[in-house]
This record gives sequence, C-alpha cells and structure tokens, in this order.
Amino acid sequence: MGVAGDARGRASSGLHLEAGPWRQALARRALPYALIAPALIVIVAVLGYPLVNLVWISTQKYGFRELIQHQGVFIGLQNFATILTDPQFLYVIRTSLIFTAVNVGLSMFLATLIALLLERVSRPVRILLSAGLVFVWATPVIPAVNLWQWMFDYEFGVVNWLLTRFGAGDYIHHNWFENPVQGFAVITIIVVWGAIPFLALTLYAGLTQVPRELVEAAEIDGARPWQVFRNVTLPIVRPLFIILFSLSTIWDFGVFNQVWVLLNQRPNKDYFLIAVYSFQESFRVSKYGLGAASAVVMVAILAVVSIFYIRETIRLTNEELR
Amino acid sequence: MNSRKLLFTVATAFALLAAACGGTPSTNNTGNETGTLTVWLMNGSAPQSVIDGVNADFKAKHPNVTVNVEIQQWSDVTTKLDTAFAGSTPPDVMELGNTLVAKYAAAGALQDISSKKSSFQNSGTWLQSLTDSCTYQQKLYCVPYYAGSRAIIYRTDLFAGAGVQVPTSMDDLMTVGQKLMAKYGSDSRFSALYFPGKYWYAAAPFVWDFGGDIATQSGSKWQGAINSAQSQQGLTEVKNLVSALSRADKTGDEAKQDQTFAQGHVAMMIANGWEVGVITDPKSGDPSLLPKLGAFPIPSHNPGQTAPVFLGGSDLGISAKSQHQALAQEWVGLLGGDKFQTQMVTVGGVIPNSTTLTSKSSGLPAIFAAAAKTSRFTPNSPNWASVESANVLQDMLVSIFTGKSTIPAASSTAADKITQILNG
Amino acid sequence: MRRTTGRIVLDGIAILIVVVMLFPIYWMVSTALKPGKEILSLTPVWVPTHLTFDNFQSAIHVPFFWNDVVNSLIIVTTTVIVSIVLAFLAAAAVARFGFRGRAAFVVMVIAVQMVPLNALVIPIYLLLDRVGQVDSLIGVIAYYMAVVLPFMIWTLRGFVTNVPVDLEEAAMIDGATRIGAFMRIVFPLVAPGLVATAIFGFIQAWNEYIIAYVLLSTSSKQTLTIWLASFTTQHGTDWGGLMAGATLTALPVVVLFLIVQRYVQGSLTAGAVKG
Repeated sequence: MGVAGDARGRASSGLHLEAGPWRQALARRALPYALIAPALIVIVAVLGYPLVNLVWISTQKYGFRELIQHQGVFIGLQNFATILTDPQFLYVIRTSLIFTAVNVGLSMFLATLIALLLERVSRPVRILLSAGLVFVWATPVIPAVNLWQWMFDYEFGVVNWLLTRFGAGDYIHHNWFENPVQGFAVITIIVVWGAIPFLALTLYAGLTQVPRELVEAAEIDGARPWQVFRNVTLPIVRPLFIILFSLSTIWDFGVFNQVWVLLNQRPNKDYFLIAVYSFQESFRVSKYGLGAASAVVMVAILAVVSIFYIRETIRLTNEELR
Repeated sequence: MNSRKLLFTVATAFALLAAACGGTPSTNNTGNETGTLTVWLMNGSAPQSVIDGVNADFKAKHPNVTVNVEIQQWSDVTTKLDTAFAGSTPPDVMELGNTLVAKYAAAGALQDISSKKSSFQNSGTWLQSLTDSCTYQQKLYCVPYYAGSRAIIYRTDLFAGAGVQVPTSMDDLMTVGQKLMAKYGSDSRFSALYFPGKYWYAAAPFVWDFGGDIATQSGSKWQGAINSAQSQQGLTEVKNLVSALSRADKTGDEAKQDQTFAQGHVAMMIANGWEVGVITDPKSGDPSLLPKLGAFPIPSHNPGQTAPVFLGGSDLGISAKSQHQALAQEWVGLLGGDKFQTQMVTVGGVIPNSTTLTSKSSGLPAIFAAAAKTSRFTPNSPNWASVESANVLQDMLVSIFTGKSTIPAASSTAADKITQILNG
Repeated sequence: MRRTTGRIVLDGIAILIVVVMLFPIYWMVSTALKPGKEILSLTPVWVPTHLTFDNFQSAIHVPFFWNDVVNSLIIVTTTVIVSIVLAFLAAAAVARFGFRGRAAFVVMVIAVQMVPLNALVIPIYLLLDRVGQVDSLIGVIAYYMAVVLPFMIWTLRGFVTNVPVDLEEAAMIDGATRIGAFMRIVFPLVAPGLVATAIFGFIQAWNEYIIAYVLLSTSSKQTLTIWLASFTTQHGTDWGGLMAGATLTALPVVVLFLIVQRYVQGSLTAGAVKG
C-alpha cells in the first residue's frame, strides 16, 4: 500500500501547485507536467528499465549461462540478422500478419453487425444479448481456452459429436489441428469470440450517439439501409472505428495464450505466431537474445502497421485543443 | 524485548557448549543455526504427510531453522526457474525434472555436491539413470528424488475375451493387438494399443531396443543418431504398431490418455505407474476397472526380453547461491533417504531413488519398478532441454504417423536438428 | 406490420447469437456441476443428471484458497484505484493542455501497448529483485499499474475531451479555480467513463497469470490464477475442479459488471467517439 500512499501524495502536490505563491503563468505551464508526472513516473519506473534491457539483450549473445551471470556478449545486430534470414521467422511473420488481418477483419465485422443488431432489437432482447456479451468478456482467458480445447478435443470434443450427430459427416475422431488451416480456423473462432464483447459493446455505445433525426431524414430521402450506414452512421463512428481497429491489431498481432494453452504448451511449428515464437526462443530454447530481438521486430512491425493511426491520433489530439 | 534474545543467547551458548564437549561427532550440525530454508517442490510430487515428516525430523535437529516448503505449479515452471536462478535469492532446494538438471548445472546455477556424495544414504545404489541425470562432466549436482517408468497397462478382461495372452516379443505384441482389433475393432473408437502421435517417451523404447539412440557423443561433440539404421528399424516397428492398432490422435499428446482409457475403448496403453491411479480415480476415471487392470513391460524384439525404457523422474538440486549449503544438504538427505523414500513408495506409489528400495513396491507398481531396472536416459547435455522444448522428436513422430514424411526423411531432419541444438 | 415481423426476425437472430456465444460458458458451468464420470464422456452429457457441488467444494478446499482470494482482491483493487486516479490526471492534461512533449507522451502511451509483455518477464523480475520486491504483492501491483495505465490514459482522454471546455470556463468565471472547476464540472461527467475504464483494468489484473506466478513463490502470497493452475498437475488435469475454479474466478467480475452495467452500456466510449 506504500505505492498507493506515495501516488496520492504526489498527485495532490500536483494539484496544489496553483495555490502556491507562484506566478500564474508559471503555474499554468507547470500544471500539465504535474498532472502527467505520477502516471509517467510509474510507467517509466516500472517499464523503463525492462524496455531498455530488452533492446540491450537483443544485441547480445544471451543464453541461460549469460542470464545467470547477468553478462552477455555484445554482438551488434547479429541476432536480427539471424532471425531475419531464418526462413522460419519469415514464415512466422507472414502467418502472424495474415492471422491478424483475418482476425481483425472478422471480429470488427461481426462486432459491427452485433452492434447494429443491438440498436434494432426489442429492449428485453437487447438486455439479454448485452448481458451475454458481458458474461463472455468476464471469463478468464486461460480456462476459457481450456474449455475450447476441450470442445474441439479429438476424443471427447462436443463439436465432433454435434457435427456427426447432425449429419455433417463422420467427425468422430476428427483432428482439428492436423491441418494448420483448420487449426487456425479454430484459433480464430476463439480469438474472435473473446474479442467480440468489448468491440460490440463499445461500437454500440458509439452508435447510440448517431442522431436519430439524421438517420430518419436519410430514410425519408429513400436511402437504402446500406447507404444510410455508409453515408450517415459511418462518418460519425469513424474515429471510434479507427481506435478499435488499432487496438484489435495490437492485440491480435500479440496473440499468445490462445495458441499456447490450446496446443498444450507445445505448439507445432506451423502454429507459431510471432509472440509464441518470441516466448519459445526465450524460455524454451534459452536463447534470450534471439527472443528479445524477435520482440523488438514485433514492435517495429506494429509501429509500421499503425503509423497511420499514430499520425491520425496526433493530428486529432492537436485539433481538439483548437 | 530482550528476554527472547537472552533465551536465544543462552540456547546458543548451551549448544556451543554441547558441541565443544563433543556430544556426537558424527553430526556436524548441532542445532545452533538459524535462518530460513526455502524449498520448492512440484505440485503433486510428494504427499503432504511425507513433507511434514521430513520437516519434523529436520526441525528436531535444527529447532531454530524455519523450513518453507513452497509448492509450485507445473504450468510455465521453466520460466519460473529461469527467472529465479537469474535473481539474487533462488530457493535453497528445488525439485527439478531429470531432463532439466544438465541445463542448470552447466550454467553454474546448481551447487557441485560431488564431495558430499557419500554422506547421502543409498548413494551407492541410486538408480543408474537418475544418477546419470544428476551428473554433469563427472560432477554430481543433485540427489535423485524419485523415478517413473513406463510399461504397458492392459485390460485383463478384454485379453480373456479375445483369447490372448500377455505378449512376450514385439512381433507377439502385434499379433495380440491384431486379434484384439479383430474382436473389438468394429467399435470405431476402439484401440488395441492406444498411442497418441506425440508420445515420444513411448516410442523411445522401440528405438533403443533395436540398438538405436537419440544421439551419440564423441569427445565433446554430439551427433544425432535417430536416423541410424537401428533407430529407423525401431521407428518402423512403432509406425506399424500405430497404424495397425491405434486410433488415437496422430497429432495429439498423452495428456488425456488415462481418461480415454477409463472410458473403456482401449485394450493396451503405454503408461507410467501412477497412471493406474488416474484411470481408477473416482473423480476423473472409473474405479470399477481396477480389478481388470494388468501391466507388463514393453517386450523386446528378442523374445523373452524386455525393451529398455526411459526413466523419468525428479531430482533435488541445491542452488549455488544458497546461503545454507549444509542445511540444504541435510534436508535433501532426509527426503532422499531410506525412511522417507519408503513412504514415497507406500504412500505416493512412485519408484524410489534406490535399487535397495524398489522391492518395497507391490502389486502393479512392482511391475513398473522392475521395468526401471533396464532403463535409459536422454542425452546428458545442457542443451537437451532445448531439444525437448523444440519438440524435435514429437514433430518427427507426428510427420511419420500422419504420412507427411517418410521415416528416412523425417528421422534425418530430426537428427540434423538434434546435432545442431546439442552442439549449441 | 412489416416492421414488427422484421423486429421478430432480428430478435430471433439476436437470441441465436446469445446461444452461440454463451455455449462455452454453459459448458463451463455445467461441467463444474457434473460428477467425475459425466465430465469426460464420449457421449456428451448435456444436462448434468446428478447435480453435485463436489467440484466447487474441493476447489475451495485447495490449501491457501482464501489467501489467494484475499491477495487477488488486494492486488486488483489497489491497482485499479491507484491507476484510475493517475490515469485520470494524465488524461486531463493531455485532453486540456497544449504543452511541449505532449505528442511524445501520446506516442509513448500507444507504443507501450505494443510490447509483448511476455518478453518483459525476466527484466521485470530482475528490477524488482534489485529493490527487494520479488515475492511481494507490491511488486505485482506496480507492474500491473504500469501495464494498465497506458490503456486507461488513452480511454479516459477521450471521455475528458468530450466534455465541452465552455462548461469549465463558465464555472471559472463564477469564481472557481481551474482545478475546482475541473473537479466539480468535468469529474461527474466522466464518472461513467472512469467506471468503464476501471473494469478493463480489473479484468486485466484479475486474470493475469505469468507475472504473478513468476514473482510470487510463497504459497500464502499467491493469486487466484495460480490457484487455477494448480488443477493441472503432471498427473493430468482435474477438469471438474478447473471449471469450478474458472466459474468462481469469473463470478466476481460478472457481478461487478451487472452492478455497473448501466454505466458501461450507456457511455462506454462516449468520449472515444471523438477520437
């Protein structure tokens, strides 16, 4: 609780700045810094060293012996050269990018449909649906993945049983993970299932802010539902869309638990997404240098992918002030 | 405030006096130490009664030492161990899977206890492969804790129904299996020999039996040998058995095999001794199966002999950074000694660390204990843990069983990978 | 007439979605209520025929369960309360002031979220080791705060932005200080946003496993996710226990949700809509 006390102490000293004997202008200039200081201090104090350390280790030959002695051998960019020329790593990047695109697309699409549905159904059904979404959202990830693993199990899987029972063919002893395309389909179902509640509820909240009159006016003008959505609704929720899109990209590119737990912590090479690869290199193969380098590459790729978002964000935050 | 301190001083003085008067020269620790001994054991390894017993005996000799036995979870345990060893205060004593020891010993994380070996009870009769797992470059880095070995668990009623006997050779195993398949195979879930595709430790005995190996060492260089002619013979044998007798998941692992067995559609399965308990567990299995279960060692291709099996198990290591080396050794000595190893056998049902104690097993466990006598271990290299983590052998088996790759091709790929990883 | 048929169809679709989405949850809860033999059965048992609370009972009788509950509660409530305050202050600064370094701060807040947290396990451990906070709840709390703060700042910034500056200025003309105006006018308007954001933080901290496991070794100092991991041993997984455990872990979050659902629903991202 020491942390809590500290933080509050710091926060209130920030708030009292203005009351002090300082000149107004100085106080005005100092205030924003005082406001961000506590959060910034926590983030930098806790994550600053680890982040620097991560980058530093990525330039070292760093195995388990080096880890214990806290002393690696500097090898410059050799780790990066190793992974970036490793066909497996390139395959992992490609898989991760495709996986992210499919998952982001699918979860955004379905979440939008559900959000639109939430707007249109009767009240009791709306409460039922949103409560259901909330329930899914609240379930801890690891047991949830265990549950799915079980539902797609080779011997006991309820999915195989259902498919067979309802005449989709003989799925008794069907193996969902023999073929990586099918396996990734299962992983996608799990990821999308877990992502929908947050996205749908957030989008629904956004949709409720679209003025009713605008939609009705467009409808009176004879616009089709799709046109109404495109021309009236979408422009208003577009900023929200961009945020959710970016968050989804960050999250889906970093998918780890769904693969790791689903495949009993021993995923086959075909199932390596970039976060799995990085973890495997570090903790399973004890090549911490390579693991760190792949994590750095991962951040770099994400930064490139979301550069548009970051620029847009900075532009928007600047606009807000005017 | 000072009465406790005074008492302590007096106690210490008495203890010193006792030591000075040469009470018992054989015990060099006479109870005057203080401090906290931290021990990490894995979830489910020792029954609580055994842990309590060890602590009570330890406490009797060292009343001022606090022992904290902390039970750790299996999920992500290597991550936890790696970070703990990297930190400044790893536990004094920790249980390590026997395939992990070399990695930690080679990096200097574990204390070399070679000079103390003779002070441990039964150290002359420790199971050979467990001792091997504790030995790195001729030095001893841990004390064997307990072992687990595999044999074939079978259903006596199904054998009787098909009119077959316990097989005495690999060919016989195939014949028996085929008869079982002929009798019960119309049930599409039935497996005469249930064998999941990633179950490497069940496949290893076949490779070893034909004289093959995972890797061989000459000097300091390792060479993957899983593609040698003998190894390939063993792999061929496994592949034939699997395709004729098993309807288990060809890409799955053995995690749920006991529950599957308990459902009653399996006649034989390669398993650890403790799995009998899981199969017949009233919560997860079927207790009514107990009288119908039998076990026999994996037969050799030479009739009448048995195949060497992999000896799994755990060792007890002492971290090099520990401030209480002597106390840690003593605690480990208790848990690894006669008294508590006997309890591990009778209460815990595992294979004890010494050949002098294996006779304490009875019933089905005795068959597993017997199988432990012809046991083998994985290549004793600090990099072996990486071979395991990289799933090299599991991936090889899966691609052989699913027909994605031929035995020569898959085993060569695996051998190259093993050579590369073991040589760092 | 057409409108009502349309609505019935839509209601039907919505109910179908609920059924599909909730199926795994149903399976979790029903498994937790099944006796051993019905749990892993080749023919699925849809409705537990012999309802039993054995799984729940054995789950809460795992040694140190109540310690785990208390620790999880301490860690999560401290994390959420402290970080929501810090995040709110920072969000206010970003939303209301132009200052040098503002863009850099915004970029940092976004960029930190991109780092795969598993890659930080070792350096975090070494850092906390150096300051003697390994195997202590404070270390875990500090880490969780650093992880949830960027997201919270980000979300709250949107909520604060959405409150018109004019409102604040009107209050200031009435003689309130800037801080006073901000707290009196803006704070109530972003309260629902604070609640929604707090819940994100709550879920994240409540369900975290790897850091808690690596940092906390003493049995009496561990959290509920470590308790959940204890159902999996080398001798297999106790599925009934695990599912009962998962249900018990999810329950507090669900209850919390139902209590604050009105806030979450109405104004989850009222602010974020603006960008």
